[in-house]
Amino acid sequence: MPDFGTVASAIISGLLLGGMMGLIALGLSIVLGVMRLVNLAHGVFLVMGAYAGLYFLKYTGIDPLLALPLLALGIAALALPLYRYLLAPLAHRGPEAQLMTMFAVAIILQNLFVFTFSADTRSIERSYATLPLSLGTVTVPLIYVIGFAIAVALILAIHGLIAHTGFGRDLRASAADPAAAATLGVNVQRVQMLTFALGTACAGVGGILIGVAFQFSPSSGGAYLLNSLAIVVLGGLGNVLGTLAGGMILGLLQSLGGLTLGDGYRDIVGMALFLLVLVFRPEGFLAARRA
Amino acid sequence: MNAATVPLLEVTGLVKRYGGVVAIDHVDLQLWPGTITGVIGPNGAGKSTLIGMIGGAVTPSAGVIRLAGRDISRRPASERARAGIGRTYQIPRPFLDMTVAENLEVAQYSIAPFIGAGLAKTERLNLLQLTGLLDVAEVPARALPLLKRKRLEVARALALKPRVLLLDEVGAGLIDSEVTELIALIQAVADPHVAIIIVEHVLRVVRACCARSMVLNFGKKLIEGPTAEILAHDEVASVYLGTGGARQSVQAAPKDEAAAPQQGLNLLSWLIAPKPPEAASRPLLELQGICAGYGQARVLKDINLQVQQGEAIAILGANGAGKTTLARTITGAIAPTAGVLRIAGDDAAGRAAHEISGLGIAHCMEGRRIFPTLSVRENLLVAARQVDHATAQQRLAAVYELFPILAERAAQGGTSLSGGQQQMLAIGRALMARPRLVIFDEVSLGLAPIIMDRLYEALATLKAAGMTLIIIEQDVDRALALADRVYVLEHGTFGLVGDPRDIADDPRLRHIYIGTAD
Amino acid sequence: MKQHRLIGDVGILAGGFALLWFAPSFASDYALQISFRVMIYLTLAESWNLLTGSVGLVSLGTASFVGLGSYVAFGLANHFGTPLPVILMICALAGALLATVVSPALFRLRGVYFTVGTLALAALLQLLMVNLPTFGGASGIFLKHDPPPLPSLYHYALSVALVTALAMAICARTRISVIIRAVRDDEDAAAQMGVRPYRVKLGAFALASALIAMAGAVQAINLGAIEPYGTFGLQWTIDTLSMVIIGGIGWRLGPLAGVLFVVALGEMLANYPEAHIAITGVILIVLIRFAPSGIVGLLTRLFTRPRRLSSP
Repeated sequence: MPDFGTVASAIISGLLLGGMMGLIALGLSIVLGVMRLVNLAHGVFLVMGAYAGLYFLKYTGIDPLLALPLLALGIAALALPLYRYLLAPLAHRGPEAQLMTMFAVAIILQNLFVFTFSADTRSIERSYATLPLSLGTVTVPLIYVIGFAIAVALILAIHGLIAHTGFGRDLRASAADPAAAATLGVNVQRVQMLTFALGTACAGVGGILIGVAFQFSPSSGGAYLLNSLAIVVLGGLGNVLGTLAGGMILGLLQSLGGLTLGDGYRDIVGMALFLLVLVFRPEGFLAARRA
Repeated sequence: MNAATVPLLEVTGLVKRYGGVVAIDHVDLQLWPGTITGVIGPNGAGKSTLIGMIGGAVTPSAGVIRLAGRDISRRPASERARAGIGRTYQIPRPFLDMTVAENLEVAQYSIAPFIGAGLAKTERLNLLQLTGLLDVAEVPARALPLLKRKRLEVARALALKPRVLLLDEVGAGLIDSEVTELIALIQAVADPHVAIIIVEHVLRVVRACCARSMVLNFGKKLIEGPTAEILAHDEVASVYLGTGGARQSVQAAPKDEAAAPQQGLNLLSWLIAPKPPEAASRPLLELQGICAGYGQARVLKDINLQVQQGEAIAILGANGAGKTTLARTITGAIAPTAGVLRIAGDDAAGRAAHEISGLGIAHCMEGRRIFPTLSVRENLLVAARQVDHATAQQRLAAVYELFPILAERAAQGGTSLSGGQQQMLAIGRALMARPRLVIFDEVSLGLAPIIMDRLYEALATLKAAGMTLIIIEQDVDRALALADRVYVLEHGTFGLVGDPRDIADDPRLRHIYIGTAD
Repeated sequence: MKQHRLIGDVGILAGGFALLWFAPSFASDYALQISFRVMIYLTLAESWNLLTGSVGLVSLGTASFVGLGSYVAFGLANHFGTPLPVILMICALAGALLATVVSPALFRLRGVYFTVGTLALAALLQLLMVNLPTFGGASGIFLKHDPPPLPSLYHYALSVALVTALAMAICARTRISVIIRAVRDDEDAAAQMGVRPYRVKLGAFALASALIAMAGAVQAINLGAIEPYGTFGLQWTIDTLSMVIIGGIGWRLGPLAGVLFVVALGEMLANYPEAHIAITGVILIVLIRFAPSGIVGLLTRLFTRPRRLSSP
């Protein structure tokens, strides 16, 4: 039986990590809500963010966490041509064509990464990433706390953007009824493009956090994509704060799963939870009436 | 169960609510074998919802549906079809890539997977013969014109060998001779063991086929009885052509008086675009030879229309005549396939919807289309494009002045409002763009007369303040009372154009609407 | 009418089967190895085409059933010494069973949730196999006995492909076809015609899964060793869907054309696996955008009158 400190540390680590997962899932969630697209390249975008952080550090020597806004903008900018030239022309063809296209983008990028960066496992080496933060018997990695703080700040910012700004209003209107929104003067394509860029930036920033806290390789994306999906159905589509809560619940369950069954079961918890949620509560456990 | 004492289909206390809107309100209904019952009522009265609930496509909020004594209220549509309920769709939904014969095979093989091929074919040919589709048996359904698609709907439902047959608006959109054919078809499929419900706008069909009828209005059963008596009833005529009252005022009262409510409203100018200096020289909206449709279905043919600054135009027409398609074409939701569309002289054909909105055309959409995830206030603000905060607030204040209830409910979710309040929100939302022209699409649909009065009061106020309006309406009297000019759509073209007083007295109007000319 | 077309199809299939049966007597080992792969891929592609092209269920879960077949086959062969034909039958049952068990989750919501659910299922099974020591963990399992020689395995693969082709012929040429097409075209209208869409979708999913599991079993036995990353790997899913999209979704000859194309491309780029996948991705994007009906659709439009699964 593990002692109190171990258990408490695992629980808190899980919650902190879940907050970061919530940010990643939020990117997937807003794209799904507004474009009706499950972006199968979301995990690869995350890996792209991690590589961007790695090489940014290598060439500038500046900590990628300090340059997060710059890197997020850069990753978001990469999403614009993808939307404009690959997704927008398929908009009238139903969700499958876009889904398959992003699947193809994912396998292209993943193999491009292998080709360019090799299949080796990397990480963004920062000295503070390995430091522990202790309070009594409870010990969590410092980077978890930093990552969680950044993720929660960004999630709250996105919540504010969606709930309280004109763009957020347009976004929710376009998600609910794109044709009506267009008739009222909303440029739905533009809203979709910006949403896609925002979603990609979430993945990218998440990737940088993951890259500092853990290791990654070109094939790391799949697990994060699936965990994000689990969080989205758990938190309820279109519910920003629910996504944060969903992420933390998943993080907690993964930690407990890892603690009781062994580390290999962490990701199994996510997949199993996803399928279970689909069976019992497909509209999401934390589904709320309003965004 | 004893067939003589238990009705074939029995509906008790059926209710359907959508958010704050009650579509069907405690309706009871009993059907006996060998009968044909008409269900009539204006658009939005809940007729299709009733059919949907009996057929299983719509889940009732309350109430019980029994087929030969067995409760089927919670059974899925497929099980009801197998139990003997066949329905047609108001807008035909054939399997487009299948031939007509294959469309029937779906029903045949689903209820009897192991039926002999020869027997199935014989039955199929009989049905095709009966419904007049024999010559198109091997034609893909996609290639069928509307009348044949409607016949296919009937044939498909009959292939289920139903005990209860639900015919939803099979006459809508058909020309006179086609209606005659349709009546012959319904009379031919009548069977002593089958109960038929006909939901119909074309009253001629009901008169010819149904011994008994019931009238639905605002989701409630207004009256039920022998068809001849029902149709002679004063109330029924008023339910159909309008709610009375307004018809007298258009003829008796001078128009200035109808605009009385404007006195109290000071903020309207925040919602109405100022007249451009060149207004006199160019029409605000101009359509020349416009054709439009969906896929291969051509709905609008050679539409010509000019709207001058400050005019109020009414566009009337029966279900399926193309009214909403016309609105959607003007607002850019669908692109015209031919013709010229100019807004204040600028070519606007093929422009995206949000660009047309930017040119000053607002559309108060049919079905209201309120965003459920936005509050009342946010629903309004979405339509105030590219204006600063102060201007948006002024427009909000002006809308709240026009409809004070919206101010009270500002923070509530858009679809938590009642139907009438949602319609006020939709009107207010269209005005938030401070448009030059607003298209009001079926604003009175399914609303109680007192609410309609309130809405039309608002429209009259807007008109008096100089707003240019296009009013698309089922409720003839109200539209005529407000309009300067009237266009009546019939099968995608303007069959009748003129002054509202002349149109009101024109027997063709009544004919187009309810097909009374025998 | 329909019976004649079915008989015609069966005739062609029987003829092709008989010819290909004798391939081992004149083909080289390399050619036989390629032919074996073609038969396996053809089974996967035909099954996926049934699900996605005919029923409209976009699956990303091919790997789940390939892996399931592999593990069940190894379990039976190693522990019970079950003969291969029996193994294949049990694998088919296992595939259908798994499809049935997970269908309440996957069919609960329409549209993309099925797609995402199948993807999650494959990942879940892969992770389970990695972590459960009973199934060999990450290092996998070896076949205890020597696998049958290649010509014999080729005959099994050919037989599985034949069974698949016969099943597809029945789905396309009998009264089942109108029911399937009705569900794809308009699920609600089909239900109003008495069709039970859930059963139709489940039936197609179970059939496709059974066929894929059999292909997975034969494939695994040919390899002689399995491990979770390969047998439950996304590569199966990518290969399957790219073959069908390239060949032409919903077309009867689409899978065959796609399989031949992809296998040929794979042989040409055998030394550059990353480039192979990336190029496949590019081809997919281009085809989805500009030729959604694939090679067969393009050729048909160019040369003959339309002959689709969805037309008589």
